[in-house]
Amino acid sequence: MAISFKRLKKLILEMGPLILLFYICISEFHTQFYYWKIFSFNLQFIIIYYWVLRNPDILGYGFVFLSGLINDVVLSLPLGTSALCYLFVSLIAAYVRNATVRSSLFTDWFTFIIAILIGNFLYFFLMNKFGGAQVEYISIFYNSFFTFIFYPFFWVLFEFYRKFIIAGAK
Amino acid sequence: MSTSRDDFGIAIRSALLQRGAKQKFSLFVLILLSLSIFVLDISELKPVKILRSLLNDGVYRISAISSSPIKFSGTVKDFFITHIFVYKENRKLKTELEELKNKDFQTLYLQTANKRLQDIIQLEKKSTFTTVAAKVLLDKNSPYLNSVIINRGSNSGIKLGMPVLSEGNLVGRVVEVNFFSARILLLNDLNSKIPVMISPKGSQAILSGRGEDKPKLEYLPEKFELNDKNLVFTSGKDGIFFEGIPVGNVIFEDNKIKVKLFSDPNQISFVNVILDKSSDAEAM
Repeated sequence: MAISFKRLKKLILEMGPLILLFYICISEFHTQFYYWKIFSFNLQFIIIYYWVLRNPDILGYGFVFLSGLINDVVLSLPLGTSALCYLFVSLIAAYVRNATVRSSLFTDWFTFIIAILIGNFLYFFLMNKFGGAQVEYISIFYNSFFTFIFYPFFWVLFEFYRKFIIAGAK
Repeated sequence: MSTSRDDFGIAIRSALLQRGAKQKFSLFVLILLSLSIFVLDISELKPVKILRSLLNDGVYRISAISSSPIKFSGTVKDFFITHIFVYKENRKLKTELEELKNKDFQTLYLQTANKRLQDIIQLEKKSTFTTVAAKVLLDKNSPYLNSVIINRGSNSGIKLGMPVLSEGNLVGRVVEVNFFSARILLLNDLNSKIPVMISPKGSQAILSGRGEDKPKLEYLPEKFELNDKNLVFTSGKDGIFFEGIPVGNVIFEDNKIKVKLFSDPNQISFVNVILDKSSDAEAM
């Protein structure tokens, strides 16, 4: 009984990032704020990059793909746009994981720039060329900038949570 | 040099094809799948459109349900804020009441003037349209798209391009129709461009969304004179919108001529979609 409770607890804890990612994509949870007209950040990129980099077993690529499709439906984007962006962010994270031996906040943070740039460039390109919607590159720039700035804050939070999962599994 | 290139190749190949212990799909397969879905979706084939429509309806309902805690927390916050400031507000309201009493005569004059202006532009503000009422299901903002989802779709006769009102004022147009839901592109969206007419002179312009609360007026006549009495209405020049739907009033802000919308696009709960002009209006 005690063992099954422990397993259940571990399972729920491990599903935390996945639930958060899906909830942000499907609900009205706003990560796009309008304070000062420029402040917005992409929390989905941060979640995907951190968890694919640090513990890929928690956030499977299939779920990343699915969350992208849901985000496209909710924001009325052509299906596959967000999924592609999220998968490219995952690709950079997986590459960094394979290429580096020891990672720290700073290595993660600076490699995250490449992931944001590729993810947002892809979004901008697909929307402008095929989406039929006008997107201002300055909004994308601010979004990329604040996503980059906020990464360390979420890195610390997620690192704490990851250690909590490991401790919960013991 | 070649060693580092080999390392890069190995790491990328591994990232694309490796599946790990709990991964069921490789990144390469999923990227190909996303690309295929994207191409199918933008090709706008009829079966894909129907499938997307069904998917939209399902996801919007789930989304509306999952957003209810966020909406509830917003309501609770508003409730507490209202109660905290109730005493202060009462005093303020008493002062305002006195001021309003004094302005009563002025208001009466303005009402008469407003009616006269409406007569000039042959506007019948009272409902001359056949509308369908709808509730806003979902209001997810993004810096790139300002739109809302409503709980009525093609089952209620809603079609693409139909104008949408909130409290009798224009707030946007229908850009996506599903069976039980539709998406409204708000006037402040970057992709919204509406031909408008400005009273009292009837100047023509284009109301262009900027992603901010107040859309901008473009293509104004060279000798356009800005004053307090400039009201904005739809001109109906595009052949899609009916003419004379109230939009907002003209203001000058940040060296730009903007429009303060009569209905705040961030505060919409219920809307009316104009299906057609009513038969009474046509008879007139």
